[in-house]
Amino acid sequence: MTTEEIRAPASSATMADLRAPRERQATLGQRIYRYRFVYLMLVPTFALLLTFNYYPAFMGLYRAFFKWDIGLQPEFLGLGNFEKLFIKDDTFIKSLRHVSLLTSWRVISAVTFPFIVAELIFNLRSNVHKYTYRVLTILPAVVPGIVILLLWQFIYDGTHGLLNAFLEGVGLEDWQQPWLGSPKTALYAVTFMGFPWVGGVTVLIYLAGLQGISDEVIDSSLVDGCSGLRRIFSIDIPLILGQFKLIIVLAVIGGLQGWVAVFVMTAGGPGTASMVPGLWMYNNAFLWNKMGYASAIGMFLFVLIMGLTIINVKFVKTGDY
Amino acid sequence: MTVLEGQPQPVQRMSLGAGWRRAWRTGDWWRHLGLGGFLFFMFLPFIITIIISFKDIPQFDHYPFTVTFPLHPDNYLEAWRIVSRYILNSIITSGTSVIGMVVLAAIAAWAFARYPFPGRELFFFGVLALLMVPGELTLIPAFLLVKDLGLLNTRWVLIAPYIAGGQVFAIFILRQFFEALPGEMFEAARIDGANELQVFRHIGIPLSQSILGVVAIMHVLSTWNDVIWPLVTLRSNELMTLTIGLYAFRTAWYTIWGPLMAGYVIASIPLIILFAFTSRLFVEGLSSGAIKM
Repeated sequence: MTTEEIRAPASSATMADLRAPRERQATLGQRIYRYRFVYLMLVPTFALLLTFNYYPAFMGLYRAFFKWDIGLQPEFLGLGNFEKLFIKDDTFIKSLRHVSLLTSWRVISAVTFPFIVAELIFNLRSNVHKYTYRVLTILPAVVPGIVILLLWQFIYDGTHGLLNAFLEGVGLEDWQQPWLGSPKTALYAVTFMGFPWVGGVTVLIYLAGLQGISDEVIDSSLVDGCSGLRRIFSIDIPLILGQFKLIIVLAVIGGLQGWVAVFVMTAGGPGTASMVPGLWMYNNAFLWNKMGYASAIGMFLFVLIMGLTIINVKFVKTGDY
Repeated sequence: MTVLEGQPQPVQRMSLGAGWRRAWRTGDWWRHLGLGGFLFFMFLPFIITIIISFKDIPQFDHYPFTVTFPLHPDNYLEAWRIVSRYILNSIITSGTSVIGMVVLAAIAAWAFARYPFPGRELFFFGVLALLMVPGELTLIPAFLLVKDLGLLNTRWVLIAPYIAGGQVFAIFILRQFFEALPGEMFEAARIDGANELQVFRHIGIPLSQSILGVVAIMHVLSTWNDVIWPLVTLRSNELMTLTIGLYAFRTAWYTIWGPLMAGYVIASIPLIILFAFTSRLFVEGLSSGAIKM
């Protein structure tokens, strides 16, 4: 994959430049003609990508600089939308704080709990047990996401909810809350849902990394008397940093894009107590028809996600052993 | 797995009974305990859902979280009447789009993997770059686009963008796989007189069934679970997919927990069936070690 990426920007035009100059035109033309059926193979794919992906993406970037309400003529604002966003829009600023909490917890929980489960499974002796546990941990991942969200909504329910019933059972009636309905707890309830935070897919990705560690490395570590927790910290974790990096990137992206959960659970409320930027964008666009302003939020999220991903890929080093 | 010999082993293991001695000696007992604990809490919400799905209203009011008799399987009939239409819609949407997506992605990935045509890397980069574009950026313009195209509130408003968007990741994965296939086999077929299409159809595709399966399942999962796009583009109840249908169901039936929970259970069954048939593919595809950065 890395070689692909390095090669990727080099178009064949530059490769053709390396050939004898007098042959270049003819050769390129001939080669294109020779592979004409290949271009034909790519036509449907690119027709769809240009229509449903490229056009909206560029349109989103372009319209972020306009006041653009449905039915009205777009009006160029320059950076006006962004100025309003960061200076006047208190809800947006608040939503940034909320999303950083959500994302931080997502990253923290994704690098701890699934890794613990992966280590537990990896160190089992019986392959049958290993396989059973792998299937059992992945099973909740195939329950539709909306069902999980609606179930957690039920767990947090103020009058019928499981959490309040549990608190009553252990004698902590004072702690009972309408968890999603109270401005004090709504954001935390959304953040910490999903207990015990073990994503099956994440576990399998860690497991794949652990299985990829060569037996020699582990054997020699045993000879040197390195085992148990010591082995996890000095051998397992450094050797599967690649997996950790992927999980962190996915968790950051998932956290910033994870506004669907907020939308379903609280709709950002009560008031704006659990508002996040993605949902704020949705509200601006589909409740109030402020398409240009919403596009500016979309562009901000795009830049943020891309920036964080690049930082993570570039500066969190993966050791190659 | 010689690895495990080095695990810390309790000193007092010999003093225990025979059954436990084995568990102590293998050092696995506390792993089973830990995993059991995690799994218990992971499955608890689902177990309670199933329990509640058999209750009528008074039973829920008095004993919400324990099994009560008589069971009320009629909750499932009631829920089925509402949810079945949404499930059918989701099957049509995800089914059509996964077929279209896999066909187009396989053809494109094959082109990228096996023919050194001019502009190959440039075009491929054009596909890959889309992996970096989040749905937030495209949501609003895409909505206005399908509105202008007159696709709002039709099945195509979901299917066409799902095919388009799903290709990106699939092409990326499939190209790597196709490139790794041994080229000699294709040469041999060509020498035997097979044309390019025959090579692709009769050799390339059969060799790639597992990876095509993985790509297809991932696409089904993501389209099946999509909330926002169907929410903004579909209005009529007849076309709603499972996600937004369930959401509407919950709003309408709030506090009538028995049928509601039965609806959640029914809604989960199609993917569980899919998973039951493909779990090997799924688990092995994800465990192959190729997925890292």
